[in-house]
Amino acid sequence: MLLEVEDLHVRYGRTHAVAGATLSVAEGEIVAVLGANGAGKSSLLKAILGTVKPAGGRIRFAGAEITQAPVPQRIRDGLVLVPEGRRILVSMTIEENLLLGAGLRRDRATLPREMDAIYDRFSNLAARRDMPAAVLSGGEQQMLAIGRAMLAKPRLMMLDEPSLGLSPLLVDRVFSLLRELNGGGMAVLLVEQNTRKTLELAARGSVLELGRMVMAGSAASLLADEGLQRAYLGAG
Amino acid sequence: MILLQQIINGLMLGGLYALVAVSFTFVIGMLNFLNFSIPGIFMLGGMLSWALMVQYALPWYAAVPLALLAGILASLLVERFTYRYMRTRFGDATEHAIPLVSSIGFLILFQGLVQIRWGADLHNFPSPWENTSLRIGGLLISVPQVISLALALTLVFGLTVLLRSTSLGRSLRAVAESPDTAQLLGIDLPRLIPAVFVVAGLLSALAGVLFALNYLQVSPVMGDEISSFAMAAMVVGGLGSVWGAIAGGLLLGLLEVLTIFFLGAKVIKPVVWGALFLLILLRPQGLFGKPSVGRGKF
Repeated sequence: MLLEVEDLHVRYGRTHAVAGATLSVAEGEIVAVLGANGAGKSSLLKAILGTVKPAGGRIRFAGAEITQAPVPQRIRDGLVLVPEGRRILVSMTIEENLLLGAGLRRDRATLPREMDAIYDRFSNLAARRDMPAAVLSGGEQQMLAIGRAMLAKPRLMMLDEPSLGLSPLLVDRVFSLLRELNGGGMAVLLVEQNTRKTLELAARGSVLELGRMVMAGSAASLLADEGLQRAYLGAG
Repeated sequence: MILLQQIINGLMLGGLYALVAVSFTFVIGMLNFLNFSIPGIFMLGGMLSWALMVQYALPWYAAVPLALLAGILASLLVERFTYRYMRTRFGDATEHAIPLVSSIGFLILFQGLVQIRWGADLHNFPSPWENTSLRIGGLLISVPQVISLALALTLVFGLTVLLRSTSLGRSLRAVAESPDTAQLLGIDLPRLIPAVFVVAGLLSALAGVLFALNYLQVSPVMGDEISSFAMAAMVVGGLGSVWGAIAGGLLLGLLEVLTIFFLGAKVIKPVVWGALFLLILLRPQGLFGKPSVGRGKF
């Protein structure tokens, strides 16, 4: 397994945001974490990245224990997060935002070529590379956030609600991009509220409710689950 | 000729304000933190150079670097127990005004410690040179003031280049916009943020040394008045703008000296603070500041 999370707990004061989450992502796999607002999904991803210290549990990545490892080390090992709300640095240029994604890389030889590839892919970014990222629309910012994460050369990309606030057309674009990146061997851990689309993309998934993992299984079995359908798929 | 001399004096005085103003504005621009310990570090620069030379008989070339080093260490101490303490314990360092208040605490602490050791009096600062002024034509130019102006300009130019075109500068600007996002990108805040305090500590302590060289006097409260003017200079230039702080410092120095020349020393404060008041009414973001985009918690 590339990523193994075992009985992870996150607390903020008295709030028990994540209460014993267990999940794994294999090399090259797409795994989904579903759940409503406030279910602890973002806290789970932040704990895996290391910006939030877990109150208990273990995280292993690429064969090594990283539960207490500093964030830069995890990113260097190949773990990257596309955060909720994109978190673009709007006062900096588009190019600078991309470069920040590559900030921790040691092998910088291919970086210019990879930058060009990202500009080829997202022509909206290329035309305005020297402008402050504030000029971008929500969808373009999401592409920039994913491009920034790609430049870290991740083995596992975690995404926190990448479809939030995007038009259906742009959501499709994000999901097909993820499929394409996954085809290149990158594993994906996807946190979403867009349940149906996510389960169509992922191989496996789990459901978080109030910090607890209440369900886990193959994407097909989750899609077929009646309780899940009632709760998240709007089916009656 | 007298007027020209006054303008030169004003610019030189402004150079000192600018140096302190850059310290204030750099910490605000990077960390959104109004660091009130800066007048204390300014004072440590002057007082410790004096103490090392007069009380411990060190030559100036040993005393000044040691005093600057002490200023940097004091600044790091402030970082550890104000900014970093709040950030590690409560997640956000500047959401509440607590670091601001604790930095005032450090100011009082530094002043108190110096007073306990060396008393509250003014001390004469020994000039390392016979004459610290240069005569060019009929004009008198103070060497420490020229140095402070030149240093302020050089340091700020260096700072601008660093921020604009290096990887370290990119990381610092990312922290300036959002410490949380910077952390998500793997920018190592606990390693990067002390750099901001090192710069601020060095600039303030250096300004204190230059002030002492220029006025040949030091005291535990020497930083108070100049810092209030430096803060005004920072506001004039626009919070967070290092070039604004330079321009604001020079403008304020000129305004002060010309006010004394034309109107007398008694009205300096009404004129300076009145001008600041007017500027805030007309252009609240300062000369070079950008209107706040949802940041700025003060």
